[in-house]
Amino acid sequence: MIKKLLFLVDKLPYKAENSRLALTHAIASQTVEIHLEDEDNVEPVLAFVGEGVLNCIKGQKSLDAYGITSLEGHIKNALLLDLKVMVCKEDLKKFGLTEDSIIMDAEDIGGDMLTNVLPFADILNEMEVADHILHF
Amino acid sequence: MGKLAIGCFSSLVGSMSLDFAIKLSEAAINKGHQVDIWLSGNATMLSKKGQRKFQDYSALEAKTKDLITKGLNVTACEACAESRGYHKEDTLEGFKRKSMDYYLASCFNSDRVIHIGGE
Amino acid sequence: MKLGVFVNQYSQSNSTLDRIKTDNLGIILVQNGVYHAALKEDGKASSLLSKGTVYALSEDLVSRGLALDKLDSKVKVVDYNGLVDVIFNDYEKFIWL
Repeated sequence: MIKKLLFLVDKLPYKAENSRLALTHAIASQTVEIHLEDEDNVEPVLAFVGEGVLNCIKGQKSLDAYGITSLEGHIKNALLLDLKVMVCKEDLKKFGLTEDSIIMDAEDIGGDMLTNVLPFADILNEMEVADHILHF
Repeated sequence: MGKLAIGCFSSLVGSMSLDFAIKLSEAAINKGHQVDIWLSGNATMLSKKGQRKFQDYSALEAKTKDLITKGLNVTACEACAESRGYHKEDTLEGFKRKSMDYYLASCFNSDRVIHIGGE
Repeated sequence: MKLGVFVNQYSQSNSTLDRIKTDNLGIILVQNGVYHAALKEDGKASSLLSKGTVYALSEDLVSRGLALDKLDSKVKVVDYNGLVDVIFNDYEKFIWL
């Protein structure tokens, strides 16, 4: 059995660790099988809405500034690991951002998965079908 | 009866969210449900030995240990704890330490999941 | 979707909650969220109270000196025991604001 966990992120990055922990927990799905029965697994889905879309801005230099890994790096790792990453289209527009402003792929580290920029209605559909919602 | 997973990332003192998590767990266990608590981020401080009880601050160690004897499963994120200087030898008896995938497995096996973010 | 929304803040509105549309929405007021059940601003009740079925945690109300008999009539007061039943019987998924 596969259960879908939706990681819903609507908070700003760096000052608080919510969005960072959302990403690291979602990425931890790579090894969850060791704790489960055979044939069981978790499918994580990441959704950035509201102010949470600001986690997805590219060109983050937190490593240089504070010596900590960037949310950008985590989002790219998520894409590299084929996790579904969704960003709310309306919220990007609200903040004057476009697909050019945000992390859309992880090609530079060998990933094929692309970020999905979607209307909130589609993200709400994902909330409906998820088995559990983890709101960060 | 069912199973509840609570993921709490809030500080032990200075936020009442861990108090909420523990009191809710107590009520659920008393009704015959199973409860897993996952402590990550600042909530890992609940797992640390040497907490001193003052009337002015949340004091959850004794209650949590009592609930563990009644079946509460409390697990702290090892990475979050270590980054804050809490090592294995600092961990209260009865508290587990695991990696983040353990929380996902706990969610998988639970009927209800309440994720309380950090503060 | 049977969604329970824990509201633990008072003054901040949350755009995520404003956009959620579901047939079965529960607003569970805890911590500072219980002020939504008790206060009116400029004579108006909180707009949260009309978003779904509203519960308020009694332990958080009494901690704050808020009288249980002076709450908005839409609010169902529950203690932790009652909240466990709400969680297992009335809703399937939860978010914490």
